[in-house]
Amino acid sequence: MSEEKEVEEQSKPLVLEKLEANHADALLAQDESRGTVVVVVRKEQAYAVLEYLKTDPELAYTFLVDVTAVDNSQMESELMQFDYARFMVVYQLYSYHGQCRLRVKVPVHENDLSIPSVTPLWRGANWLERETYDMFGINFEGHPDLRRILMPDDFEGHPLRKDYPLRGRGERERFNFEKQNV
Amino acid sequence: MGLDFVGQGAGETDGNIITTTIDKVVNWGRKNSLWPMPFGTACCAIEMMATLASKFDLSRFGSEAIRFSPRQSDLLIVSGRISIKMMPVLKRIYDQMPDPKWVISMGACASCGGVFDTYTLIQGVDQFIPVDVYIPGCPPRPEDLIDAVIQVQEKITSGASPKGVEAVYE
Repeated sequence: MSEEKEVEEQSKPLVLEKLEANHADALLAQDESRGTVVVVVRKEQAYAVLEYLKTDPELAYTFLVDVTAVDNSQMESELMQFDYARFMVVYQLYSYHGQCRLRVKVPVHENDLSIPSVTPLWRGANWLERETYDMFGINFEGHPDLRRILMPDDFEGHPLRKDYPLRGRGERERFNFEKQNV
Repeated sequence: MGLDFVGQGAGETDGNIITTTIDKVVNWGRKNSLWPMPFGTACCAIEMMATLASKFDLSRFGSEAIRFSPRQSDLLIVSGRISIKMMPVLKRIYDQMPDPKWVISMGACASCGGVFDTYTLIQGVDQFIPVDVYIPGCPPRPEDLIDAVIQVQEKITSGASPKGVEAVYE
């Protein structure tokens, strides 16, 4: 019994097996974090991989839980691992079919902040990508309506970047009530 | 209230004639019918709802008639965090209220930003609109809000101008 269990623990999750078989060139790294499979995917193939994950009948990651990003500019270890890509766009997926979660991470370099939008796959990605654009300044190509969603329209900068000061740049004292459209 | 009874002594008018000033009568009316405009943006608003509900019953002090139109209200209760995106909205609502108008800044966040010392949060609404009464607490208990309403009432009784009027004549 214990042997069987050991074998089961050692066996790879289905999603990794299938990704290695079909998108081996896209995979940069794979990991497991608290029971969730984590894969790091090349930006060029990111859309194809996500489409595959959603449409494959065995995997069927049909639920896009969240889209967000991480600014790794002060995480030396992460930077070195992924060719000094400053940002990591993170997609959290869930499969009702397999009852399991998957985290897809895509490194994005600061000099090319664009990444294909996944709104054609999940319509719910619309606002999530707008939030990521608002907070990190990542451009989602093909997004139908890429505007700020939380900060005011005339806000400058992207406040969740690590180089943005916590107390802001004086915007909370500086107000022009006449200019703003209420 | 500044009431004086005329005709102390003898006669038919004994105690039946009252003299006062028009200001005092008007203030008496204002004091007992403060209509609040709630501006609830956070957990303070929950306490404000509790204050208005039956258990704490703000109508005992004549302030239960919540108006969601600023044009019909004379007491603005700012209860909650105000972000830089919300401040122009608050300012617009304050401007729409008819004079005389009073403002209560309820809780730590509205009064000074509270624990949210970040780029997006106004560090005290009194930087942009005049505030008459501040309530400390995070969130304040309903009794604190009742106390603030009574302080506003006392201010009206004393004939003092609202902070907003003072600001205009300064």
